[in-house]
Amino acid sequence: MDSTSSQVEWKRGSAELLILSLIEVRPRHGYEISKLIEQRSDGTVRFYVASLYPLLYRLEKRGWIQGRWVEKSGQRRRRYYRLTRQGRKVLASQRHGWHVFVRAINRITEVENA
Amino acid sequence: MPDWKAEILRRLAPLKLAPMREAEIAEEIAQHLDDRYQELLASGQSEDAAFRTSLDELKGEDLLARDESPEAAQRAALGELRGENLLARGKSEDKARPAALEEHDGEDLLAAGLKRAEKNFYREPIALGKDSSNFLSGIVQDVRFALRMLGKSPGFTAVAILTLALGIGANTAIFSLIDGILMRALPVRDAQSLVVLRWSALHSPEIHNWIENGDCNITTGSKQAESSSCSFSEPFFHDIASHIDAFSDVAAFSSEGELTWGGVGAVRILNAQTVSGTFFPTLGVTPAAGRLIQPSDDTASAPPVLVLNYSYWKNQLGGSLSIIGKTVSLNNVPFTIIGVANPQFNSLTPGEVRDIWIPFSVLSRLYPDSGQKPRETDVYAWWVVIIGRLKRGVPRVQAQAAVSAFFHNEMLHGAKPLSKPSDDPRVAALPAQSALTGSKTRYSAELYILMGAVGIVLLIACANVAGLLLSRAEARRKEIAIRLALGAGRRRIVRQLLTESVLLAVIGGALGILFAVWGTQSIVSLMAGGSASAFGFAPGIDGRVLAVTLLASVLTGILFGLAPAARGTRIELTQSLKESSGGSPTRRRAGKWLSLGDSLVIGQVGLAVVVLIGAGLLVRTLENLKNLDPGFDTRNLLTFGINPPLMGYKTPQAIEFYKDLQERIGALPGVNSVSYASNALLSGSLSGTSVHLHGTPKEWRFPTDDLRIGPNYFSTMHMRLLAGRSFTSADFARREAAAESAAVQARQAGGASQPGSAGKRAVKSEPLVQEELVPAIVNKAFVSKYLAHKNPLGQRLDEGPGYVIVGVISDAKYSNLRDAIGPTMYIPSDGSWGVSFEVRTSTNPAAMAETIRKIVSQMDSNLGIFDVYTETQLIDQLLVRERMIARLSGFFGVLALALACIGLYGLLSYEVSRRTREIGVRMALGAQQRDVLRLVVGRGILLAIVGAAVGIGVALAVTRYLASLLYGVHADDPVTIIGVAVLLALVALAACYIPASRAMRVDPMVALRYE
Repeated sequence: MDSTSSQVEWKRGSAELLILSLIEVRPRHGYEISKLIEQRSDGTVRFYVASLYPLLYRLEKRGWIQGRWVEKSGQRRRRYYRLTRQGRKVLASQRHGWHVFVRAINRITEVENA
Repeated sequence: MPDWKAEILRRLAPLKLAPMREAEIAEEIAQHLDDRYQELLASGQSEDAAFRTSLDELKGEDLLARDESPEAAQRAALGELRGENLLARGKSEDKARPAALEEHDGEDLLAAGLKRAEKNFYREPIALGKDSSNFLSGIVQDVRFALRMLGKSPGFTAVAILTLALGIGANTAIFSLIDGILMRALPVRDAQSLVVLRWSALHSPEIHNWIENGDCNITTGSKQAESSSCSFSEPFFHDIASHIDAFSDVAAFSSEGELTWGGVGAVRILNAQTVSGTFFPTLGVTPAAGRLIQPSDDTASAPPVLVLNYSYWKNQLGGSLSIIGKTVSLNNVPFTIIGVANPQFNSLTPGEVRDIWIPFSVLSRLYPDSGQKPRETDVYAWWVVIIGRLKRGVPRVQAQAAVSAFFHNEMLHGAKPLSKPSDDPRVAALPAQSALTGSKTRYSAELYILMGAVGIVLLIACANVAGLLLSRAEARRKEIAIRLALGAGRRRIVRQLLTESVLLAVIGGALGILFAVWGTQSIVSLMAGGSASAFGFAPGIDGRVLAVTLLASVLTGILFGLAPAARGTRIELTQSLKESSGGSPTRRRAGKWLSLGDSLVIGQVGLAVVVLIGAGLLVRTLENLKNLDPGFDTRNLLTFGINPPLMGYKTPQAIEFYKDLQERIGALPGVNSVSYASNALLSGSLSGTSVHLHGTPKEWRFPTDDLRIGPNYFSTMHMRLLAGRSFTSADFARREAAAESAAVQARQAGGASQPGSAGKRAVKSEPLVQEELVPAIVNKAFVSKYLAHKNPLGQRLDEGPGYVIVGVISDAKYSNLRDAIGPTMYIPSDGSWGVSFEVRTSTNPAAMAETIRKIVSQMDSNLGIFDVYTETQLIDQLLVRERMIARLSGFFGVLALALACIGLYGLLSYEVSRRTREIGVRMALGAQQRDVLRLVVGRGILLAIVGAAVGIGVALAVTRYLASLLYGVHADDPVTIIGVAVLLALVALAACYIPASRAMRVDPMVALRYE
């Protein structure tokens, strides 16, 4: 429980990072984002509707991402989120911070293991 | 497929999101849940299980749900205590979740999350008029909606905006004049601490030279008729400066009237102000160039200096800096130009423009041989206005007490007592800002009257637009009913309707400012137009005026919008929603014959009648004055002033000069005759004296106007001799001899008095011992007032050299057109001072001016002529104010009438279109066209008559405030009232005609189908 719990803490701070990273290359809709998070973490990390969408709206309000309804032929319309210029900057800085953090943790844990 | 949306909306409901936003969120999340559901089904779950699992996502707590909110943190912590891993769960755990989360269902996590995210999201109240917690966004939304609604009916919007623009523009223009003329702060440093002294006493002190230049308001407000003035002697000024320590600075000034400028540029006559050396330092006025007069310039030994007015420097001298230090001549005395005052300082006294300032000390040099005691040291000559700056912390009353006590003591117990104790001489120290009135008062009555007129015009405009809005609100009943039915609050709809009206008013106000800029310029040129002296005010649209306009616009918008808005929202919902757009013919409530729309029209007509009657009276006044016979022939008459004594001519030389000039001008082709007099008639100047009739008790004195005239005066002016004879050349010779001996005696006596150089009245001198009496001619008014039942010829008047009446002449207006013709005495000119020539021509008199100027300059190149006007121009100048107020009030009257009739027209045409069905029914049942005509026109005329009756009643009550401006017409003049009533009836008929003819053309078949 302890190990998962601390894992959780790291992820908690990085939820924004996850979303921003996922829409970096191309716009995605909410379900796609939640699916990708689940798949890529092998089911370790999951966002539910109750928290995913509020977070998306918050990010949108901060101007980091922008949602747009897109209608493709034969499909229902969906809301796609793309990264804004400001969001791109935030992503770069958060990603950097994350790497620094992970490296630091790694170094600590390696020393302990040695 | 499950209905996700319903479930989601149920959870979102407490958030009270904007409907659009709510729908958007529901759609997005529903899709998500649907995708999840399909996926679970595909993975082999039962529909029920898939549904439950998907639904759990709405409650599901994961790491994101736990952030800043303490409750959420607490909840998560509790979850962890229960051994639940809320954050990292595989699919296998899915089934365990619902039970664990049941207890959270009450406090919805989705809603909680969204509440934070959506807190400040812009909510668009789609159902317009829905109460909103966000005031600002509501306003933006109201304004946007108002703009859309106004744009949808451009005709209504244009009429409303134009109406308001005219109303607000007129008010802005007049207010900018009031602000610029009556309310402008004195152009000095810290005007609040500046006081001006004014004495009053029960009887005038024993002084023999009293010059009052109209700088300050001399009415004391006390009921007793007592003497009062702001003029003091120069020695008293010096006493105040040295004895009263309540003031930090004391200064004095006076007007010197006209001086001849030469040396730089053309010879011209200019207006000078004499000031103490402390004048500029006390006021804190700064120079625009060079320096200003200092105390050291105001000493007997200092070289004569002058300071230029900025606009005089700019306009007459080209604004050249090199002029500073140059020497010019004033009345042939050399003066050095030392500087230019800053452009804001035109004059201390409002509206009195002075071209130059010179120190007191130069006066004796300007008039070296006047044969008078110098004013500077004469306690009997009162001619300077004293201003003081209060020391910091000294209240005005304290300074006043000190000065008053000092004055009282000087007047009763000084070296030369001038008053008796019973006269109670005292001094008031008045705030300079209000006491220095100058020319302010010249226009104040007119401006306040006009302000009243434009205020009424604005009221009419308001009523007009209110009427339009009312009709519109009727037309919008259905829209408003729908909004109310959709849950809009009544307050919110009133606010929205008010936003529309305020928006109209503000747009109207903005347009009105454009009208005002143009209007102010036109009015100023009307005021200044043809005036002899410079117009000393520069009113314009400044920040203060703009602020007042904005405020007026908003208030106006609320004023005219409130009733329609309140009325518009007082709707019976079901009734309104069921109604057809055509409205029901029985809308007018029974028992209420006067609708709000009717009262608005009656009000408009009534107010318009008030303005029209006022305007009619003022126009008639102008006409009366224009058509007045002044008692002499004003056609083809040129007048100009000339003043050789200013340039050092002694009396005999001046007389020779006048004779010579008279002959030369008389010889010009096109000139019928020439003469001159001490004043030009109808130029606003007046000279007066009082005479003692020989044979009456010694102390009886009779006031009379006097005019000193040259040869052929009466024949030139076309005045009729009623009895006796006119002046002969022997009479003039006798008068000249008398003047010469008087001058000799005065020089021997050391001089006592000064000719009325700048004073409004000539100064009397003591009678001289005289062998022969000077002949005088009096007018008819003199005879009927003082010599009724007597033969006037041969009567003696003990005054000056002593006169004997040799003739009686017809009455003629003297200084202006309004004043009744007073007793007037004509005496032969002694040529001792400047004169006004009168040239009677057979052709256009104005064309003669240039030739005359050349002749004068040939005779003496140092002499200039001034005040060159035709008598017609002089009359135009006299009537500047009358013409201004007649034109403006006439304009506003027509405007008011037009607005009122537009209001009447609007109401009737609205009624006709609303009652089309009813009219159709009536016609189908046999009503004739004339019945319909009577229906519509009858109503319109009834409203107009009621309005006119109300208006006439109000006008009778208020026009008496115009009485002081009227001439030859009473404030309740029936001709004007009937004229206005007839005009109104005609225009009202015209306004009724269009809707009536439309009503008459109603086709019953079409009307009955009319929806």
